[in-house]
Amino acid sequence: MTLSDHRRSFDVDASSDAVVVSHVLRGDVDAFGTLVERYRDRYARYAFHMLGNREDAEEALQDAFTRAYRSLSQCEEPERFGAWLFRILVNRCRTVGARRGRRARTFVADETALLGAAEDHPAERSAWREEIDRALQQLRPDQREAFLLKYVEELGYDEMSQLTGVGVSALKMRVMRACERMRELLSEVHSV
Amino acid sequence: MTRSLRTVTALSLVARVVAAQSGGADPRLVARLDKPTYVAVNAIVDSARAAKLPTAPLVDKALEGAAKGSDGPKIVTAVQQLRVRMTSARAMLGSNSTADEIRAASTAIEAGVSGRDLARVKAATGKRAVTMPLAVLTDLIGRQIEATTATNLVIQLEKSGVKDPELALFQRNVRADIDRGADPTVAAQTRARGLLQRGATSGKPSE
Amino acid sequence: MSDDDVKMSQIARVLRAPVRLSASFDARVMAAVRRLPGHERLKLWARLTTPRTVTLMPLPWGLLAASVALFAVLGALHFVVDIDRAAKPIASALFPAQAKPAPQRVQFVLVAPDAKKVAVVGDFNGWDASHAGYQAQHRGGGVWSVTAPVPVGHHRYSFVVDDSVWVADPTAPRVVDNDYGVPNSAIVVPQE
Repeated sequence: MTLSDHRRSFDVDASSDAVVVSHVLRGDVDAFGTLVERYRDRYARYAFHMLGNREDAEEALQDAFTRAYRSLSQCEEPERFGAWLFRILVNRCRTVGARRGRRARTFVADETALLGAAEDHPAERSAWREEIDRALQQLRPDQREAFLLKYVEELGYDEMSQLTGVGVSALKMRVMRACERMRELLSEVHSV
Repeated sequence: MTRSLRTVTALSLVARVVAAQSGGADPRLVARLDKPTYVAVNAIVDSARAAKLPTAPLVDKALEGAAKGSDGPKIVTAVQQLRVRMTSARAMLGSNSTADEIRAASTAIEAGVSGRDLARVKAATGKRAVTMPLAVLTDLIGRQIEATTATNLVIQLEKSGVKDPELALFQRNVRADIDRGADPTVAAQTRARGLLQRGATSGKPSE
Repeated sequence: MSDDDVKMSQIARVLRAPVRLSASFDARVMAAVRRLPGHERLKLWARLTTPRTVTLMPLPWGLLAASVALFAVLGALHFVVDIDRAAKPIASALFPAQAKPAPQRVQFVLVAPDAKKVAVVGDFNGWDASHAGYQAQHRGGGVWSVTAPVPVGHHRYSFVVDDSVWVADPTAPRVVDNDYGVPNSAIVVPQE
């Protein structure tokens, strides 16, 4: 039985995060599945690009969800559960990343992980994507984090600062350095 | 469980929850913050306590905002951001880290020290407290020394066995050199070399 | 938008492609969540808070009073939200905590020829400009100083001049302040 088959006494799809959270806190553990379905794809993308492979991304994401469940009563704004979960995930990615230490950051192209819409030239497109991911993995973790939050998650600097606890000017510096490095790395392959 | 025992158990649980809600409030927060700000800050402090994070830095941060005349939302944001940094700091330093270490690490994170560099400094200090090395590192970065350069210097000094008072003196000397017009990075590298060489002549390892 | 922004946006567009997680991800998260101890407590809370009619069995008063006392204690220990807090008073009595190092006396000096009043405020005195013991004395020639206790460890502080102007210590390390827009100074008091 998939999660979406499970019928509950309230309209899952229409319920705001706050409503779902209140159901979970009242003992309806299956309701938490709604939140998992709601957020896993978007945050999988961040975790995958932050950590460079699907296995680590799934570990960090699963860890973030279980921690969110365990501390759910401490979520101060249940209507913004997603943002709160994301903050947990950003921290988990840092921990998982640090634990890997200086193990050579080998990026293994995982075609099954990346979904693509139909493209005119799928082979070229996927080679380009692989180069971008390879370059991304060569950034320092703090720069990669700032780059992903700014350009991929499209957060403003104030939001990024709230999420990471880092000051705005330090974040701007990290984004700037990340862009410089990405340009350097990608210009070795393409003229960017 | 019989119904009477269930009732008594339920009552004791409710009593504990009520006690937890009303206990532990810092009277300075009550005195200096308006009600909505106090409620919001207290909730953050409570959640930090439940997560076994030190709460004094959060209370201090709120009191600082009140003393500086900041508005309520800014105070709440500042306290929340500090809590986020403290959570990161503890994740990087380990659950045995002291309140002072977490405080120093949170300041370092705010100055732009990455989690990876925090972990490296922690590894270099071994069993010694990481408070002073991080305070010195934060100061060097604040004086426009590039973060990785500053981190590597502090790590070198730590690995060579330099103690906290020597580190404090190192920081004061670098500051004095910069005040006299020296390039910050050159000043820091020169003073570090001096410390390491003294360590080498006394038999301590230097890199 | 500059050329650089355009290039970064193109890269970001590629990175925004969805990432596929393994088919069992949701099930693994929910299995992990169901194993958490919090799940039982939450279900129990749901049972306890569901209104139901309860009949107290008639018991001799003495036995009832003893039961209340006993089950209050058992209830506190079994259902306690934070078992460490219950254990702490017992632990402290058996194993007194290591004495905290005594605060060190630290001299603070500010040159402010036009000031009428100078106080030291910081996280060691609740940022209270009227705190006795941290009021600087004018020593002549515009030099204000006070020697005051500061606990061992890392602290932020500032001077407050005439109850209104915040001045960072020019001789001390500065701490960036993104929170309130007024920079502080840092001091690390080593253990003697």
